[in-house]
Formats: sequence, C-alpha cells, structure tokens
Amino acid sequence: MAILLDRNTRVLVQGITGREARMVTAHMLAYGTKVVCGVTPGRGGEEVAGVPVYDTVAEAVAAHQPTAALVSVPPAATLDAALEAIEAGLRLLLIATERVPKHDALCLLYAAHAARVRVIGPNSVGLINPSQRVKLGAIGGDRPERAFTPGRVGIISRSGGMTAELGLMLRQRGFGVSTAVSVGGDALIGTPPADLLPLFEADPETDAVVLFGEPGTRFEEDVAEALADGRFSKPLFALVAGRFTESLPEGTAFGHAAAIIRGGSGRPSAKLTALRQAGAWATSDLDELFRFLDTLASSRADRKPEQH
Amino acid sequence: MARLLEHDAKAILAARGIPVPRGEAVSSPEEARRATVARGGAVVVKALVPVGKRGKAGAVRRASDPEAAAEATAVLLGRQVGGFPVERVLVEEAVPVAQEHYLAIVLDADDRTMRVLASREGGIEVEELARREGGIASLELAPGEVVMPYQARQLWRSTGVRGPALPRLGQLTVALFQAFTELEAELLEVNPLAETATGELVALDAAVVLDDAALYRHPALAALALNSPAWRPPTPLEREVDAINAAEPYRGSARYLELEGGDIGFLCGGGGASLLLFDALLRAGGRPANYAEIGGNPTETKVAALARVVLAKPGVRGLFVAHNLTNNTQVDVLARGVVQALREADRLPPDFPVVARETGVNEAEGRAIFEAAGVRWLGEEATLSQAARIMVQAMRERYGESDGDPARP
Repeated sequence: MAILLDRNTRVLVQGITGREARMVTAHMLAYGTKVVCGVTPGRGGEEVAGVPVYDTVAEAVAAHQPTAALVSVPPAATLDAALEAIEAGLRLLLIATERVPKHDALCLLYAAHAARVRVIGPNSVGLINPSQRVKLGAIGGDRPERAFTPGRVGIISRSGGMTAELGLMLRQRGFGVSTAVSVGGDALIGTPPADLLPLFEADPETDAVVLFGEPGTRFEEDVAEALADGRFSKPLFALVAGRFTESLPEGTAFGHAAAIIRGGSGRPSAKLTALRQAGAWATSDLDELFRFLDTLASSRADRKPEQH
Repeated sequence: MARLLEHDAKAILAARGIPVPRGEAVSSPEEARRATVARGGAVVVKALVPVGKRGKAGAVRRASDPEAAAEATAVLLGRQVGGFPVERVLVEEAVPVAQEHYLAIVLDADDRTMRVLASREGGIEVEELARREGGIASLELAPGEVVMPYQARQLWRSTGVRGPALPRLGQLTVALFQAFTELEAELLEVNPLAETATGELVALDAAVVLDDAALYRHPALAALALNSPAWRPPTPLEREVDAINAAEPYRGSARYLELEGGDIGFLCGGGGASLLLFDALLRAGGRPANYAEIGGNPTETKVAALARVVLAKPGVRGLFVAHNLTNNTQVDVLARGVVQALREADRLPPDFPVVARETGVNEAEGRAIFEAAGVRWLGEEATLSQAARIMVQAMRERYGESDGDPARP
C-alpha cells in the first residue's frame, strides 16, 4: 500500500531525450521505477536507457499502457505536453518544469481537473515511495537511499531540496518515510498540501506527516482547516520557514515564485498560529521539529514511527 | 511579478481601447511647462515610481497652469517616493470627475481562477473596498472563456450603476479582460476609473503586473518590466548578479538581495533551505548582510561570480555557505567557486570566518577543497539550524562577544 504510486505503476517520460530527463530516467530505472516508454516529438524510434521513444503520447500509450507521466519539457511546451497526456488517458502527471507561465498553468490545471487527472507540480522535484522502491522525478538523485529509508512518516514539502533534507534528517533520527511528495514551488499547483492529507489519512503505512511550508499562498492555512475539521487525524508536524520575510516590505518573492507576502496575507507567523490552533506541532525551527518528533515517538511506544 | 510604470501601463491599455487621459512623461520642469501648454488647461503631475498610495505620499499634484506644473515637477524630481527616486513625472490633462469606480482583473492563484472585480466606488484602496458591505462584485472566469458585454453589464448593474455609463462600463470591461489574457497579466487594475458628467469613462490610474515567466512571449513588454525589490531600485551589486545570470542563462541560477547592515555574507540554497537558514542565523543572533541563493547545478564560474558579489558588500566579515542535501548541485564545484572568490578577495580563514554546510553530490571532493582553504566544513551530522549557530559562534570567536557594529574596528 502506498499513496499515488507503487512498484507496478507504469511510467511515461515526456521530453525523455532532454539532458535532464535522460539522467532522471536512468536514476528512476536504477531505483526500481517501471519506466516503460518516453515521448519526444520527432524522435520516435530512438531509445533512452533502453526505454523506447515515441513521437506522440497516443502511440506510447497504445504500446505500453502507462498510467503516470513525468513531464520534463521546457516551460513553453509544458501546457501542450500536459494536455496531450491528459487526452491520452494518463491518470497522474508529475510536472517537473520550472517557470511555467501562470496562464498556461491555470489552463492545464483546469483541464486536469475536468478529466479527474491528478497533477503534482509544476516545479516539483518528484515523489518517492521508499518501501516500494519507486520514484517519479529527480527526487533523491542517483542515491535515493541516502535520504529516504522505508518507514512510517509522510513528507509534504513546498521545497524540493527540503524534501530530501527532511528525509535525511528523519533517517538519522531513526525514522523512515512512507511517501515523500514535493508539491512544487509555485502558487498554481495541481495538488496543494491539504489535498494530500486524505491520502495520508487513508494510508495504513503512514503514522504521521511532516509538512514543510513557506511564506505566501493559503496552503498552510488550508492544512490547518483540514486538521480543525477532523479531515486529518494523524499527528502533523509543520515546519514553516521564512519568518524573516515579515520584517521586510511585502511584494518580493523569496526562493520560490509562491514565497511572497502580498496584501497582508501569506505570513509565516499567521500560518504557524493557525496550524498550532488546529492541533499541529508547528515551528519555524528545524531542531524543534525533531524534538517534537522525539517526544511523540517516546510517548507513543505502542504506535510510534518505525525506529531502527 | 514584473511591474510597469504608470505611463507605460496606460499606453498599453490605450492601445487596447481603454480611454486614458492625454499625457506625457517628462524629466524636467521646462518639459513639464511645455507639456502643460500642449494639454491646454489644468493638469495633474504624477511621480513615476512603481509604488502604490502615491496620492497619500504627496506624489500626485494638480496644477492649473504651465508655471504651476513646472513648480510641481521641480518639487517631485529627485524626491524619494516609497524608496524610489523620482526621475520622471507624468503630466496629463485633468479630467472632471463625476464618479470614481474600481475595476480589476486578477489571476487568483488561491482559487485557481481568473476574476473580474468591480466596484461602483473607486479611488480608494482595494483592501478598504473589500471591507465594505457589498463593496466589490466579482465574476469568475475559466481559462479560454471571454467576458460577454451582457455579463459585464450584469456585474456593474449589481454594484448599483445605471444610466449611460452602464453599457460603456460593460464594453470597457470586455476590452480590459481581452487585454488581460493577451498580456498574460497577473493583475490589471484601473483605480480610479472615472466617469465624467457626460458618462464618458477614463482610466485615471492603471496598475499592470505581468508574469515574468511569460515575458519571453512579449519582448516589447519585457523591455518595460521593472525588476527590483518592492521597496527600492536594484543596487549596483544586484545589477551585477542580473548580468551574471544573463551571461550564463542555462546553467544554474543565482539570486542576490542586498540588505541593510549585517556582517555575515549569506550564500545558500535551495529555495526552502535558504529561508530556513536565514531564520536560523537570526535566531542564533547573527546578522546576515544579504540574502543570496545559488542552485540548479551552477558552473564554477557562476558560483565564484556570486560569491564575489556577496563578499563585495561593505561590512561583510564572514561567509556562510549552506544548502540542503543536494540533488544535483555538485558540492566540489561549489567549493571551487567559493574558494576562488575568497582567494581573490584575500579573505581567508582564520582571519575571515567561513562555515560551509555542504552535503550531497561529490561531497568528499568538495569537503577536501573547503578544508584545504581552512573553511569549517560541516556534513549531514549538522542540522541546518546547528550550522547557523556554528557560523554565529565563529563570528563571536573571531570578533569578540561585544559583537559591535562591523564599521567599528
């Protein structure tokens, strides 16, 4: 049991002949992901790391029946690629591309929603399920084991880099990861953190979730609402970075396009307050996050996150 | 979040059928005098700076004749408004206003939709409007949809507007929405949208925010778009980093934001870890002098160039280099770039404290390069918070507990 993907998920890579996609395809295969086909218009008939390349998604789908696509194409081609995958019947798209124009992102999210296709990203480094040894995207690079060991903590992160860092820090402290998801650094993303909570709630392999939040958007407030409503009942540990941005004039983005305080909303301090009031263990200090986790693990020896 | 100055915003809207006052941008009192003569009546002189609330800041002045316009211009030029020096002013005809409305189109990322916002009352801040009962009427639009005139009329009618202005507001709203999708804007705001005694409409002010990720499709707009922090123009060091990125656009990304004061040079990444690290330095009592990020597997040249900029800010007397566990950024390449910049600037440990928490791709080589230069290297055993504390401690050890102003000896 895993969320979003498992070892049998058949994966298509769009833009597979690109420099980045070639490397990511090789790393995914080495980890255990079933990458069954790739698409680059005009390059049909080639192979990348032994994976056959097609000109169109429709042809690749007819030959290999993939259900998930990694979209690794330039920003200007992202909308087109995503619509092609949606029309061909893919059920899950992970969009790695950064700097997708906002109007294009809006358009593709609408289309995905109408077709009931799940989108992770844009601007996501990927998602990984260590117990199934399967990953979609660059997450973990060529050494996913270093950061992600099988276990019972879910990770939801607005930062790709922090997804791996949190996995590594959890591993050092004897915890492992059930599924880790980099939701993407943009404001317009297919699956904001709160949308993942029902999946982790239903997952018998997840005992707790760690959330990495940033300034900007309503994502953390929506998570707090889900907690307050009882839609998520497992322990939630939230790390919200970027408090210092509150002491600067608003309207400037830090790090990710979405990390921006505007019109008085998106402040990390307000997010922390909302999360705490809803019952989350919330902090802006990484070390305090781990103290929380240790506290929980020792107080709940009967049902604690897996320790090594 | 690329912004435009008012005269550029108005020119773009005027070209798409939105009526704006006749006016021109000038940079001297003499030009303002001539522009006023050309308008042939009273004018409004407005400071051209990319900030809101200019009226409250005294940056919008009425002038009844050419002499008064020249005087108003002389007062405004060289003044700072919202952190920006006034280099030009907009001189435009004064429009006799019967009623001020509010109209905006926004890309609402929270609700993943486009929205037309209209209010019968304008000329005040949108935040203030939103607080009023029934203050703003809203129409949601999906991608690919267009606003039909009847929908726009219904929207305006719901705000209480009637009479000859109603169909005109409908048409203007249709035109503004077309402009919004054509420009791939994040925000188009006309506030106030003036209605004259005869029911004519004129956009008295216009705010245009463009999506910088879409500017490649709009080269003419890209040339006008302002790229700076929200509170001041870019500094020379910030411009240097723009040039560094322009020189090598496809390999890695460098960002640099200069901050006031501080003594720790901050050279971190990625997007999330940098936020965490900056918070952690402050919590430990450190004083970062800038916010900088490097990532996306940059070249040694790019790393060295950004490190040079970080070290160049006066008052910097230590360097903090840290990332999350890297997925693709190579630690050895980072180390070479940083050490090269330190050597060139002749700012090496132990005189100049440098702490690097760098772990991930090619870590062993990277560590060796850092340590050979005397840099305190930290691996995965140190959390990002611990690394920040070690950096602050290194500053205290070198410069003493008094921890005074870096300007002092």
